[in-house]
Amino acid sequence: MEVISEKQISESSRELELYFGPQHLGMVGNFSITLKVQGDRIVNAEANPGYLHRGFEKLMETRSWIQNFPLVCRVNVIEPGSIEMIYSMGVEKLAGLEVPERGKFVRSIYLELSRVSSHLFALWAYSKMLGFDTVGQWAMYHRDLILDLFEDLTGGRVYNIYIWPGGVRRDLPEGFEEKTKQTLHKIGNKVPDYNDTFFNNRIFHERAKGIATVTREQATRMGGTGQVLRATGMKYDIRKVEPYAAYDQVDWEVPTRRDGDAYSRVMVVRDELIESVHMIFKLLDKIPDGPVYNSIPNPFKWKVPKGEAYVRSECSRGELGFYVASNGGKSPYRAHFRTPSLPHGLTVLEKALEGESISDTGNIMMSLYVTAPEIDR
Amino acid sequence: MNNKITELIESSFRDVDVELIEEDRVRVNVKQESLLTLLNFLKENRYSHLALISCVDRIEENFFELIYIVSPYMQQDESYTEREKVNVILKTKLPRENAQIGTAIEIFGAAEPYERELHEMFGIEFIGHPRLTPLFLEREYDIPPLRKDFDTRAYVEEKFGSIPPVED
Repeated sequence: MEVISEKQISESSRELELYFGPQHLGMVGNFSITLKVQGDRIVNAEANPGYLHRGFEKLMETRSWIQNFPLVCRVNVIEPGSIEMIYSMGVEKLAGLEVPERGKFVRSIYLELSRVSSHLFALWAYSKMLGFDTVGQWAMYHRDLILDLFEDLTGGRVYNIYIWPGGVRRDLPEGFEEKTKQTLHKIGNKVPDYNDTFFNNRIFHERAKGIATVTREQATRMGGTGQVLRATGMKYDIRKVEPYAAYDQVDWEVPTRRDGDAYSRVMVVRDELIESVHMIFKLLDKIPDGPVYNSIPNPFKWKVPKGEAYVRSECSRGELGFYVASNGGKSPYRAHFRTPSLPHGLTVLEKALEGESISDTGNIMMSLYVTAPEIDR
Repeated sequence: MNNKITELIESSFRDVDVELIEEDRVRVNVKQESLLTLLNFLKENRYSHLALISCVDRIEENFFELIYIVSPYMQQDESYTEREKVNVILKTKLPRENAQIGTAIEIFGAAEPYERELHEMFGIEFIGHPRLTPLFLEREYDIPPLRKDFDTRAYVEEKFGSIPPVED
């Protein structure tokens, strides 16, 4: 039997500082974490955002209300739809604009398509992180099919700027509903394969079960929303709590899990993806006829009345809020986004990493659905 | 339900100004000294979700407006009530010179990153915050950049204007 010398023990218990990211293979996005490690255990983690800080909130104060759209949709790269929506909701509230009934349905359909594409993107990142390259490629391919739908809708694949104050920019194109159904069937038919290869795979279970457990008490204390909270059993979803668009018009369920670990969070994402696909079918069946937008004043001269508003919605990663103040001018006086990744990527991530293995850093970060651009803004 | 929290705050605090601005948004103007007491009071009344801390630079009136948005988490896992729609928008004024206020971390752990952000962007000192280190920005600024008197264009010209263009 080999005797471990005292020197070796002190070597392994020595605390080292490890810079994880932004140029690290296990890191998704421009984000970095400074880890204090002992052996391969993380003692302490400190998140360093700021690599993508573009100063949007300052820039928005100098541009007109409509000119801000190309900025807000870049707040989150993987799901721009939800940010367009929250900005439009804020402006509508200030200006007292109403959205026609069909407009609300089209918005919901577009937002759910965005959510599906975002979840597929997350599935790509997560499965690649665990070494499931095939599943990653499938997810990326299916996301691309959704992007094709967006291309039909607006001409843009990633940044669409489809939602505007007062509704959406234009009605659904000819044959869009049929094409959407075909695409969703295609994705739905692949779900058994996803399950067999990834979600029921023992490697995934062993890498994710019991890892980075965030209890409900911890999650609520640190401002967790979205999957972080739903993985602990609370059906907290702003689409239900405070319905907007057409989410109160159709029946749907909020998927939850119990354990609060990485496995539960990823399974909640999977269940949400399936639920969203079902919801789009229900929305398409119920969509009424009529106009999709109410016209707004001349955008070049538009002055939104003085006031302030706080609006919130559920994006793919959690509660998305927007505080906006206007002093009656051509541009916002102050705009501030409450993005879910800010608490998730800073406080929750730092807590969740403590005591875990270095090799699980990327795994834990992706299970919390942290996206760097919306932390920095 | 929405009136309930309005009444509750009004009956418990004397120097606050409570207003129901919309169906489910309650605005409370509070003095700087009673802010933390009111936050604690809201938390004890199950308004346990601090969604956002924001700040508006009212340069003409010479004060910062600090905004805390507090809403309840769900009480039961399954059922939704009218109560959860309510967002309380707490507002307090801080002087622009030497802006200081106590940290809310003891009450809401979620306050930590927001206070760091506001410290960096507006130069507000949160007394008792354990980690007011730089968060997003790369450089030091004389005037914190989200203040209204920070001129982005002048800063860029001064800082980067002297760098000669790259020759091909």
